[in-house]
Amino acid sequence: MSTPRPDQENPEIIAGQRVLGVVPGKPPGGDRKVLSEQEPVMVWPHLLVRHAVAALVVIAVVLVLAIFFDAPLREIANPTLTPNPEKAPWYFAALQELLALFHPLVAGVLVPGAIVLGLFALPYVDRTSTIEPRFRKVAVATFTIFMVVWIILTIIGFAFRGPNWGWVWPWQEWYGEL
Amino acid sequence: MTLGQRIRESIIGRSIWRATDRTTERDQAAGHWANFFLHIYPVKVRRKEITFRYSWYLGVASLVLFGSLLVSGIYLMFFYVPSPAQAYGDILNLQTRVAFGQYIRNVHRWSAHLMVLVVAAHMARVFYRGAYKKPREFNWGVGVILLVLTLLLSFTGYLLPWDQLAYWAVTVGTEMAAFVPLIGDTVKEMMLGGPVVASSTLLRFYVLHVAVLPTAVVLLITIHLWRWRKDSMLDAAKEGVDVDA
Repeated sequence: MSTPRPDQENPEIIAGQRVLGVVPGKPPGGDRKVLSEQEPVMVWPHLLVRHAVAALVVIAVVLVLAIFFDAPLREIANPTLTPNPEKAPWYFAALQELLALFHPLVAGVLVPGAIVLGLFALPYVDRTSTIEPRFRKVAVATFTIFMVVWIILTIIGFAFRGPNWGWVWPWQEWYGEL
Repeated sequence: MTLGQRIRESIIGRSIWRATDRTTERDQAAGHWANFFLHIYPVKVRRKEITFRYSWYLGVASLVLFGSLLVSGIYLMFFYVPSPAQAYGDILNLQTRVAFGQYIRNVHRWSAHLMVLVVAAHMARVFYRGAYKKPREFNWGVGVILLVLTLLLSFTGYLLPWDQLAYWAVTVGTEMAAFVPLIGDTVKEMMLGGPVVASSTLLRFYVLHVAVLPTAVVLLITIHLWRWRKDSMLDAAKEGVDVDA
């Protein structure tokens, strides 16, 4: 048997009090406020606590990585001994991969210049006020294609290139270095 | 009364925090506004902005990584001389004889690699959220400069160990500059301080890495955060928002 509700024939006893009746209608304070996403909240504590947790996670990741993976150090620099392949750091691997495919003026100057200028120009070109992805398909598609191409080029340049910039599978021999 | 309150109520506590009772939200806002460390934060943000889904906390992650780089980098500076005769030996010395030398070097390197990733991801997240739109165009531009500076900081740091990896990676990188039409060779010589990577290159990259670029980044981060605070309560979805309001 379920407990009878206060408005039923048997009044419920709560902490020694007997509920005599329930007044229908809204409470004098109005309905409980449902907060919208646009509602402002205090940064302290709501945002700062989250940021503190995020910061601790980031620091923990760095400290743990630094325990298990040592920074590399090769033999001393030798201008007369050119390694093959000569590799740029991984964040320039996409550019270096482009260099192998196109004329240096295109790959080394025009493309990076266009990327930086394009990023600067983005908010002045895309003047629509809507921020929902489904209403700005052109911008989202362009940006996504660029990102995917860039990531693929980075992975190829970093992991799949060997002597004379030829194709080498990472499991054959490893030429990638952070 | 809690211990914290007791400290705040003492003579010294009052001199530090001035007002002691921040009970109403209005008082708390005033306290937040007056706090030196919190003044880069807005007092209030929209509720959706505090969720993980909104930002993935990538901005604060980049800031923390930059802080980690400053701290570990200053430690490394105590044991390093930027000359080809000494640099490599200093790194070996750092790894074998200096207390926590290898570990701090690892922290510095991992923070740098992660910062490149996180800053790029921060840019992507801001793009997909549409947060570069009016009235935030300027702050997007500041962010683009910060991304470029992050890459330059990583690149200038890459040369400092003066090993084969560093030397040839920087040779590849600076050769690209030579392809700029008309001024290419001049730009390359300015970066290298000569025709090839040599002692003047190491000194230039070192000064850029430990003084010029970090100063520029600190300044731009300050502007970036200040504008974020100013714009925090504006809704990018609404056209015609008065930025100065």
